[in-house]
Amino acid sequence: MTGALEAIRAEFAALPGAPEVLADHACAAFAVDGIVPGSVAAASTAEQVAALLACAGEHRLALIPLGNGTKRTTGNLPRRFDAALSLSKLNRLIHYEPGDLTITVEAGMQFGELQELVGRDGLWLPLDPRGGAKSTIGGIIAANAAGPLRQGFGGPRDMVLGLKIATTDGKIAKTGGRVVKNVAGYDLGKLLTGSFGTLGVIVETSLKLFTKPPARATFKIRAGTLTIARDLRGRLRRSPLDAMRLLLADRRACALLRGSPLEAMEEEFELWIEVSGSARVLQRCENELSKLASAAGARVEQVEKAAEPWERVSDLADWLQPKYPDITILKAALPSAVSEGFLTLAGQESIAAQITLASFAQVGVGIVHASLLQQTLGSGVAGLVLRLREVAASLGGTLIVEDCPLALKSQVDVWGARGDDLQAMRKLKSAWDPHEILSPGRFVGGI
Amino acid sequence: MKPNGLSRELAGIVGEDGVLWRRDDLMLYEYDALSSMRQPDVVVFPRNTGNVVKIAKAAMRHNLPLVARGAGTGLSGGSVATEGGVLLVFSRMKQILEIDLENQRARVQPGVVNLDLSMAVADDGYYYAPDPSSQRACTIGGNVAENSGGPHTLAYGVTTNHVLALEIVLPDGEVIHTGARHWDRPGYDLTGMFVGSEGTLGIVTEITVRLSRKPEAVKTLLAIYSETADATRTVAAITARGITPAALEMMDGFCLRAVEEATHAGYPMDCAAVLLIEVEGLKESVEEHADEIEAVCRENRAREVRRAKSAEERDLLWKGRKTAFGALGRITPNYYVQDGVIPRTRLPEMLDFITALEKKYELHIGNIFHAGDGNLHPLILYDERNREQTAQVIKAAKEIITRCVEMGGSITGEHGVGLEKSDLMPLIFSENDLDLMRRIKDLFNPHGRLNPGKVLPTGKMCGELRGGLLGGGPV
Repeated sequence: MTGALEAIRAEFAALPGAPEVLADHACAAFAVDGIVPGSVAAASTAEQVAALLACAGEHRLALIPLGNGTKRTTGNLPRRFDAALSLSKLNRLIHYEPGDLTITVEAGMQFGELQELVGRDGLWLPLDPRGGAKSTIGGIIAANAAGPLRQGFGGPRDMVLGLKIATTDGKIAKTGGRVVKNVAGYDLGKLLTGSFGTLGVIVETSLKLFTKPPARATFKIRAGTLTIARDLRGRLRRSPLDAMRLLLADRRACALLRGSPLEAMEEEFELWIEVSGSARVLQRCENELSKLASAAGARVEQVEKAAEPWERVSDLADWLQPKYPDITILKAALPSAVSEGFLTLAGQESIAAQITLASFAQVGVGIVHASLLQQTLGSGVAGLVLRLREVAASLGGTLIVEDCPLALKSQVDVWGARGDDLQAMRKLKSAWDPHEILSPGRFVGGI
Repeated sequence: MKPNGLSRELAGIVGEDGVLWRRDDLMLYEYDALSSMRQPDVVVFPRNTGNVVKIAKAAMRHNLPLVARGAGTGLSGGSVATEGGVLLVFSRMKQILEIDLENQRARVQPGVVNLDLSMAVADDGYYYAPDPSSQRACTIGGNVAENSGGPHTLAYGVTTNHVLALEIVLPDGEVIHTGARHWDRPGYDLTGMFVGSEGTLGIVTEITVRLSRKPEAVKTLLAIYSETADATRTVAAITARGITPAALEMMDGFCLRAVEEATHAGYPMDCAAVLLIEVEGLKESVEEHADEIEAVCRENRAREVRRAKSAEERDLLWKGRKTAFGALGRITPNYYVQDGVIPRTRLPEMLDFITALEKKYELHIGNIFHAGDGNLHPLILYDERNREQTAQVIKAAKEIITRCVEMGGSITGEHGVGLEKSDLMPLIFSENDLDLMRRIKDLFNPHGRLNPGKVLPTGKMCGELRGGLLGGGPV
C-alpha cells in the first residue's frame, strides 16, 4: 500500500462518526468495471456519508457509491475511481405508520427486508427491480429500477415521496416529504431518481406503499407469430382488464423461462399476464383472456407457481450469467406499440450477426430486454449493439447497455442517445458536483 | 395613451391583436384565484413556440420579468406578475397537436383546457387522469407548472405522474426538449424537475401526457354522518381494509349546505359531514369494494349510505364537490382556502384542532378535504373590509399550516407555493435544502426574471404567510 493511500484511509477513519474503513483484502468486492478501489469506506450514518463526501471533495477523490452493487454494471467506464462508498450498513428503519401507507428508511436497507417488514401489515412496495430482494432501496432509486410491475403500479419515480441526500460539499439536504401529496418546492426527488449516484448520495427515502392484492394469478397465451402477439396486445389494451404485469417472451426467452436447452426451444411466443383481485375477479379475468385469445386465434392457460419465473425475469443477469458468462443485456425503451416491431427487426439483425438473442418485452410499457447470449464475447457484438440502437431510434426509442463484458465498454457508449437537453444536464452536474467526485464519466454524455 | 417601444416590438412578433398594453385591458390580468396584485406592463398572446422564443429574447433585452399564465385559476398567486414585466398568456396556444391512442399518449400546447383533452378522447374510452376542481377552465400548462392534483389523484397520481415530455423555452430563448414519449430516456429526469417548478425555471410550450383507459365500472357512494369524527375515522378504516378508492372526499355540513343551495345536487342539509367515495375497475371488483366500503361506513356510524344510481346522479354529486369553493363564495364576501397536507391517520385530530381554532378566533371554517390522501382545504370565511377579522384569518391559517408541519405534513399539497407561501418554505426546508433549490434556480433562471417572487423565500418575512395578500392590502 502506498503512503498516499494509507493517508487517505487514515483520514477517512478519523472523520466525524468514524466510518469503517475496510481492509485491503475486502476492496476487491467493490470493484467497478474491473477497477478495484484504493479504499472502501462503509458509512452507517448520513453524517458519515456527508463527511466522506467533504473529505473526497477536498482531495478531489473520485467516489462511487454502492449499495449491494447489483446494478453496478450499468454505466460507462469511470474516468477515475479512488474510493468506494459502501452504504449497505446505512439501513435503519426511520419511520413507519402502516395506516398512512408510507415508510421512511435509510438508503442501504435491502429491498427484501423492506418487503418483509411491510408485508406483515398486508402492504408492499410494488416493484420488481433488477437485483431483486438483495438490492438496496437507495440503489433502486438511484437506478430508477422498474421491472414488469411498472405496468400496474408505475416505477420508483412514482413511489418516492421524499429523499435525504448528502451533497458533495458535505451537507445533508432533503427534498419532498413523508406525505403522499406535496408540491412544496422543486421536485428534486425526480432529478435524483435515476441519476445513478452522479449528483448526490441518497441516504434516506420516504416511500409510498400499497395494499397487497388479496390474490394473484398468472396466465400465458401462446401466440404463433409476432403478428398474433401484436393483435393480442391491442385486444388487451381495449379490454377492461387491468394487468399488473404484461410480458412477451420470444421463443428463446420461453425456453429459458422453462429451463429447457435453447435447442429445444418452443415454436411460439408467449404473452404472460398477471392479474390480481378476489376469486371472482380472477375468474372474470380468465374468461376475458380466453375470449380475447380465441379471437386472436391463440389459447390461454394458467401458470402455476408463477412467482419463480417472474423473479427470474426481473433478475436476468444473475440467472443467465452462469450459463453465458459474457452475456450482454440491452434495454430498449420504446413507444409501447412498436414493441413487436422491434422484436422482429432485432431478430433479423441477430440472425445476420449470428448472435443468439433472447428477448423479454414489457409490451404494455414499451421496455424490451434483449440478451445477447455469449459464452465468450464475440467480435460481432459491438456492431450488433449499435445496429439495434439504430433500430430502436428508427422506431422512436432509445437503447442502453444494462450489463455487458468489460471489453465491450471500450467499444460502445452504454447510454447512446442524447438530446438538446444534454447541456442542461451537464450544467446541473457541475452545479452540484463541481469537482466531479461522484462516479465521474459513468453517466450519459460523459457526466 | 400610446403603446411603448416594448409593446410595439411584441406586436411585431405576434401581431397588433396579440398584445395588450392599455391600463384597463391589463386590469384583467392583475389577479388569479388567490388575490389581486399588480398589473403586468404588457400582456402578450403567443401562437407558437417560435413566438415564445422571440418574446423571451425581447424580455431579456429589456431586462424585464417574464411570467407565464394559463387560465389564471391558480390559488397561490403563481401566475400574477408581482414585479410587472411581460405576461405570456397561453390562450392562443390551445391545440391538441397529436393523439396517439395505441401508445396512450397525447401531445398538447400549454393552453389546452384540462377537461377538453379528456373530452377529445372520451369517445374512444380514454381520459386524462389529473382532475383539478377547476378542470373546466384550467389549462394543462398551468397544471404542469403547479403539478396540480384533484380528487382522483388518490388512485392515479398527480400531474407529474402523467407527464412524459416537455418542450421548454429557457429565459434566453434557448429551446430544449426533455423526456420522451417512451419511459426511461437516458439522462436526468428534467421533465420531473420542471413539473411543479411554477414557471420559475422555463416556459413550457409543449407537453406530452399519458392517456388513461376509462374503467369498465364506476360506483359513487355518499356516506352521511351525524358526527364529523365518525367520517374521519371511516377514512382510516377504509385504508386498513386494503381498499384504495379512486377518490375519497370529505365535506362538512357547513360546506354541504352552501353547496346544496348552489347546485341542488341532492346532498343532505342536516348532517355533520359526508364522504364522497368512488371505486372504479372491473364491475366485479367495483361491486365487492362498494359493498365492503358501505359496511365500513356503517360500522363507523354512517347514518345513511347512498349510491349514485345513474351517471347523471354521479355527475351531480361531483359537480357539487367541484364547485364547492364557488358555492361558498355565494355566502361570504371573502374566503381564504388552505392547502395543507397531513399523514392521513391524523385526520380526526386535525379536525378537532380546526374546530378549536374556529372558537379561538371567532371564525367560520368550512372543511373540504381530499381525505384519502390527507390533503386539507379548510376555507376560512371573512370580510376583507373588516381589517381585524382579516388579521385573525391570517393567524388561524398560519396555525393550521404549522400544525400540518408538526404532524409531519406539508404546506401545500396541490395549489403550489407561489407567492402565497414562499416565505413559509423555511417551515419545512432547512437552509441546506433551500440552497439546493437555489442552485437549480440560478442555473436555469440566472437573473431571476422568470416569475420573480415565487417558490423560494424572498427573505423579507421568513416564516410568514403573505398575509397582505388578503384584503387587497400591500404585499
